[in-house]
Amino acid sequence: MCCLAATVVSGGSSPLAAQESVRTVDFQREVRPILADNCFQCHGPDPSTRRAGLRLDTRDGALGARPRGAAVVPADLEASLLYERITQRNDRVRMPPPALSNKTLSDEQIDVLKRWIEEGASWDQHWSFAEITRPDPPAVADEAWVRNPLDQFVLARLEAAQLRPAPEADRRTIARRVALDLTGLPPDPGMLASFLSDTSDQAYEGLVDRLLDSRHWGEHRARYWLDAARYGDTHGIHIDNYREMYAYRDWAIAAFNNNQPFDEFTLDQVAGDLLPEPSLDQLVATGFQRNNITTNEGGVVPEEYEAIYAKDRAETIGSVFLGLTVGCATCHDHKFDPIAQREFYAMTAFFRNTTQYVMDGNVSDPPPILVVPDDDDRALWSQLRREAADIDGQLQARAASVEPMFVEWLTRGHHRELESPLDPAAELLTLALADADGPAVWLEGERRAITVHPGAVIEPGPNGHPVLMFDANSWAELPSLALDSDTPFSMALWIYQPEDEGNFVVAGQYDQQDGARGWAMTISSRQLSFRVTGARAAPGRGATSARVGPINTKRMPTGEWTHIVVTHDGTAERGGLHVYQNGELVEEQGSEFFAKAEGSILTDQPFYLGRGDATSSTGEPEVRHFGGGGIADVRLFNRALTVDEAQIVFQWRALQRAAAKSPEALTGDERDTLRLRYLSIEDDEYRRLVARKQEIEREWREVRRRGSVTHVMQERPDSEPDAHVLIRGMYDQLGARVVAGTPAALPPMAESLPRNRLGLARWLVDEANPLTTRVTVNRFWQQVFGTGLVETSEDFGAQGALPSHPALLDWLAVDFRESGWDVKQFFRTVVTSATYRQAATTTPDKLERDPQNRLVSRGPHFRMDAEMVRDTALAASGLLVRTIGGPSVKPYQPPGVWSTVAMPQSNTRRYEQDTGDKLYRRSLYTFWKRSAPPPSMDIFNAPTREHSTVRRVRTNTPLQALVTMNDTQFVEASRHLAQRAMREAGDDFDRRLDYVTTRLLARDFTPEERAVAKRTYGRFIDAYRGDPDEARSLLAVGDSPFDAALPVTDSAAWTMLASQVMNLDEVLNK
Amino acid sequence: MHPFKEAIRAETRRQFFGTAAKGIGGLALANLLAHDAFALPQTSQATDAIGGLPSLPHFAPTAKRCIYLHMMGAPPQMDLLDHKPGMKDWYDKDLPESIRQGQRLTTMTSGQSRFPIAPSVFEFSQHGQSGAWFSELLPHTASMADDIAIIRSMHTDAINHEPAITFIQTGQQIPGRPCIGSWFAYGLGSMNENLPTFVVMNAERSHPRAGVQAISAKLWSAGFLSPEYAGVGLRTGADPVLYLKDPDGVSTAVRREMLDGLSELNRLRHAQVGDPETLARIEQYEMAFKMQTSVPEMADLSSEPDSTFERWGEEAKQAGKFQNAALMARRLVERGVRFVQIYHRGWDVHSYAPQVLPAQARDVDRAAWALIQDLKERGLFDETLVIWGGEFGRTIYSQGRLTPTDYGRDHHPRCYSLWMAGGGVKGGVVHGETDEFSYNIVKDPVHIRDFQATILHLFGIDHERFTHDHRGLQARLTGVLPARVVHEVVA
Repeated sequence: MCCLAATVVSGGSSPLAAQESVRTVDFQREVRPILADNCFQCHGPDPSTRRAGLRLDTRDGALGARPRGAAVVPADLEASLLYERITQRNDRVRMPPPALSNKTLSDEQIDVLKRWIEEGASWDQHWSFAEITRPDPPAVADEAWVRNPLDQFVLARLEAAQLRPAPEADRRTIARRVALDLTGLPPDPGMLASFLSDTSDQAYEGLVDRLLDSRHWGEHRARYWLDAARYGDTHGIHIDNYREMYAYRDWAIAAFNNNQPFDEFTLDQVAGDLLPEPSLDQLVATGFQRNNITTNEGGVVPEEYEAIYAKDRAETIGSVFLGLTVGCATCHDHKFDPIAQREFYAMTAFFRNTTQYVMDGNVSDPPPILVVPDDDDRALWSQLRREAADIDGQLQARAASVEPMFVEWLTRGHHRELESPLDPAAELLTLALADADGPAVWLEGERRAITVHPGAVIEPGPNGHPVLMFDANSWAELPSLALDSDTPFSMALWIYQPEDEGNFVVAGQYDQQDGARGWAMTISSRQLSFRVTGARAAPGRGATSARVGPINTKRMPTGEWTHIVVTHDGTAERGGLHVYQNGELVEEQGSEFFAKAEGSILTDQPFYLGRGDATSSTGEPEVRHFGGGGIADVRLFNRALTVDEAQIVFQWRALQRAAAKSPEALTGDERDTLRLRYLSIEDDEYRRLVARKQEIEREWREVRRRGSVTHVMQERPDSEPDAHVLIRGMYDQLGARVVAGTPAALPPMAESLPRNRLGLARWLVDEANPLTTRVTVNRFWQQVFGTGLVETSEDFGAQGALPSHPALLDWLAVDFRESGWDVKQFFRTVVTSATYRQAATTTPDKLERDPQNRLVSRGPHFRMDAEMVRDTALAASGLLVRTIGGPSVKPYQPPGVWSTVAMPQSNTRRYEQDTGDKLYRRSLYTFWKRSAPPPSMDIFNAPTREHSTVRRVRTNTPLQALVTMNDTQFVEASRHLAQRAMREAGDDFDRRLDYVTTRLLARDFTPEERAVAKRTYGRFIDAYRGDPDEARSLLAVGDSPFDAALPVTDSAAWTMLASQVMNLDEVLNK
Repeated sequence: MHPFKEAIRAETRRQFFGTAAKGIGGLALANLLAHDAFALPQTSQATDAIGGLPSLPHFAPTAKRCIYLHMMGAPPQMDLLDHKPGMKDWYDKDLPESIRQGQRLTTMTSGQSRFPIAPSVFEFSQHGQSGAWFSELLPHTASMADDIAIIRSMHTDAINHEPAITFIQTGQQIPGRPCIGSWFAYGLGSMNENLPTFVVMNAERSHPRAGVQAISAKLWSAGFLSPEYAGVGLRTGADPVLYLKDPDGVSTAVRREMLDGLSELNRLRHAQVGDPETLARIEQYEMAFKMQTSVPEMADLSSEPDSTFERWGEEAKQAGKFQNAALMARRLVERGVRFVQIYHRGWDVHSYAPQVLPAQARDVDRAAWALIQDLKERGLFDETLVIWGGEFGRTIYSQGRLTPTDYGRDHHPRCYSLWMAGGGVKGGVVHGETDEFSYNIVKDPVHIRDFQATILHLFGIDHERFTHDHRGLQARLTGVLPARVVHEVVA
């Protein structure tokens, strides 16, 4: 049971109930919570657990006729069976059944139900589902206090509770508070000074506007949003590798800074990709739904995780926009809210029509992804895209225009003379298994015999062409090739995938003793992969590789021959490698896009076919020969083949057969392939265009390198969103098929809306939807006042808390919507209100009658979130680096936090701390490894970001004290603040102290406080004077050097004093 | 009750529980408050507990503390505790379909064309009055045959590590629920003055080829319970608790001065603003200061006599080793820590099982034995539940290449073995039976939920009545499906 509901129903002493008790019983506030908590489990929306066919969650159910009489008969207590049953003395008859339910109604609760029936059993819709209308602000006695309508609602409640608002906070306090609320940072001393010296009536409003214009505004708002969006920098479970996603985070910052209307902000994130001609930003926004945790655990069954991802997405929409715990209907109908199980699955259906493959491949960029160019590159980016499209057109046109020449070429019978798939000059090496003098290769025109190890056999393959079949102990040795990092080359071959699912090396030339330098083609669990590996940076250090392979869905079919072409463009980079499967470029996955083999890949090792010398993850030698596999028609070329050329090589067998035919006898396919060959080899103009396209690809890669990649949503074009009810939530227990839809208890989706995410998004922000605005303004309120008007900001359902100020909530919601969903305007209204400007001072009377400040009888006063605590220290000390956006950073973190939990192969196993500016960025840029979040944030209650969180818990523990006292970040910040004060505030103790407190508290210490500070400082000085080495040790904490021009003892003492101030409750609190 | 005092008490209680579980020093704070008007009453029926629910325990407990040794990655039961002598004759023969019964396979072996049986290469022998069979890899465990209860019929719903470990720790496969240790912290509260209620440690694998699985904060998270009930990570080695150590150049005397001044300034602030939270914060800083002494004292093994290391072996001195963590666990429960969870990594034997298992077993076997001897000597064994086991079992058939001396084993949820001892567990019991392939349970199955219900039972808790209201439902560790206490292993 929620706490607020408990307070309301259990006693008249609660201030929230105080004014209600004089009126008639309020169904929403008093009756429904009792029914929901005590009755709905057996008499609620879920038919599978419903007893006696009785529903008490609907008016019809409760008041409707039943064989033995209605449960509730308005104004007739005696006839109301409900009342009879709840007042039974006999345990076996009384409701709720004590033995089964563990629940007992209190006398007060029974009295509420009694009075409710006597007063006529009024019944309204659950409050949050009801339509919103703009309420009139109530009349108040003290009109002079009111600054805007918000205040009337608050003051009316206070007056009813016979409480007076707190006096207005002094200007320094309010300046600090509003700066923290709008930017997450304490006020800049300059801004503070100009506000304090501004005596005009509009001084405060001016300050507010300046803060709303600050680019830190967007960072601060986005920081809250990232909890809701469950943003993280890793996949979240198992190997928990890096995920490149920060463009989404930066998009959110920019959206708030640009004051994007919140309805558009919603639309873009839920369905940006489905909008007509979506902009880059709208696509990036859809990353909202890619933030969920994903897996690549070896044994995972994809269907299971498909269901899990869709559930997470539906639940996130539920809690973030609707304030509903829709996930409660995963296994059965919702026990308390009108959400049937099939409606939940209808919501998951919106997210099941995605092109995303379940397994994330442990890579940072599992598709669908989007390249996000730097701002400076956006023009070039579009230009390249236009040019690429343009060239495609020209290629087509060229192909058409050379048709007469191609016909001529055929007529002359040139197709009968082909000796190699491409121009002979391109051929570097060709395998000749059936050579009369024994197996050989042609290497740059020269025949070289090769060694086929016993156990490997050459036999006729399909179509009679020779193939090389291996057993588990055999291989073939070919001459060494001089392939280096800057050598463009391609390798084409046919591969027979055995039934065995093992790990094999198919072909390669590499030095196992030298960090596997070289190149290799491997198959692991039927997934092909090609790598180039460079030199080791230093002995004992690993070598770097670039690796490419088809995505998981494109595994090698077993018991079949597959044609593979891999190309390397001479950059030794992942982006410069491609794989073609049976002539088609495959969607690639398998390594980071910018992974590069550093140093030379050149090795003098032999070129082996079917031989696998590998090293296990533990560093021991392993054999991975291609036992049971086969290879045929191996060809190496001295350039990176084009798409057309890969197709031609794949079709080479067919072309050879076609050589016997007259032009007229050629099939369409043969003719097409021959045309491709003619164009690619014989036509200079076509070749020029293709070369330009390859260049564009390289330029495009440069742009991509300067920019980033982000995860986006993409619908499958060939199917409609649907899902199955999963019986008891089990992925493999399919129930009825459902199409995408929204719960019937809420206003319906308009007929005109498509039944996909776009429809969902428009429905969320539809004026008729009563939840999105209420939920959103409530969360904003929570950011400022610490608690929402609805305390359970994630749950506006029957089990959630009731609003403390229902009319105010609705007024804010309507005002927000009518302002055009203007977020800045909303915060302006809040922070310029008299309610907000109250001092935080409390009194024993208020502690008694408004202990949690739910009536807002004083200004907000609560411990800041983790990020604000750290950012305050950085800003006050001057260390803060105010760059916006970019890749996440790794500031100070105690050693071992990652490595003790990670898997050995995880690329987030070792925390490599950044240096320089990256140590001092705002905390929302700190790298978020979800299986081991930054400990100093975790200790201050930051969520792990595994799931959407819209409300953080706030605890107060000794571990928090240890962070702010001992974490390098805070010690270093104290030292900087201290030394700045010494440099900039002169020699006077008090002026230095003012410097410190102004930056942390926006005020000067009182004489009493000064006395304490002075005394403590004296003790610090004594301690460090006696031990200057200790002083130097303290000053050496942190990466940045200390100012050696300042006296060591004084610097250390001031550092401790600054640390003391930084640890004040007042500093940790907003 | 005076509402003002009530409010402060409510605040203070919240802080207090925070310290009791997440932080350190519950009782000490209680003592600090003992002479003022808001002193906490004993809230649990257990006379030695601070915090916890007034309704608990439901009946007299036999266990008050738990040391849970989780073998992360899942040890193969047929190589350790579930002797299958008949398998020698089945070497390299295919697992009959009649046994496999279409069991879901992981995608790691679902593509295998054969499921060749790999009999254990390890010898088994009988021990103790019960005549229980033990692998030669567990000689020390075998010597305790009559102290422990072996369950050979454990089974689970999950077939992959992430969901399976999450399931056994939290009762649900998907992250988000409170783990078992946090349920205890929440329900039973703290039993000590200056250490956490629930401590978590990691121990590294013992063989370089051992397959390692990830662990993560969610395994010791408090889920929907308040975060103060989450496990506190204790690192073996120099810095047992994060941020515990004062910075270089800050002596204890300087820290004390700083805290005295801080507390005075905070009191001035409180006099002005009147927020009870400020007073609570002063206490948190004092607790932090106390922890700076009590935690290093606990973690300092130099006070252990030589006889300790004669029993445990020298590895017990090495940070990161299982032996070290287990010894630390003993020191923690001696000091009143209620729940100690150790994750020993490296049991994911998809390959090289015959090479990996001796090393993995060697570390845990002796340490588990030494731990129980120590507990007995200190009179703690009867009240301390010790659990040893993984998250699921492994297949009798080989994953990858099978040779007479080499095999790997895939995940197997249908049956596995673990043991429990102390804290009211009946010694010398072998419960449950599997078929000759150790593939299906033929007698007395014990589901994860039953196992969880049994642990709660030993602590005097009825798993059906120990609930937490979450989103209107009475959530419990064992979930909504029925669970049964395995009375056969309860003394």
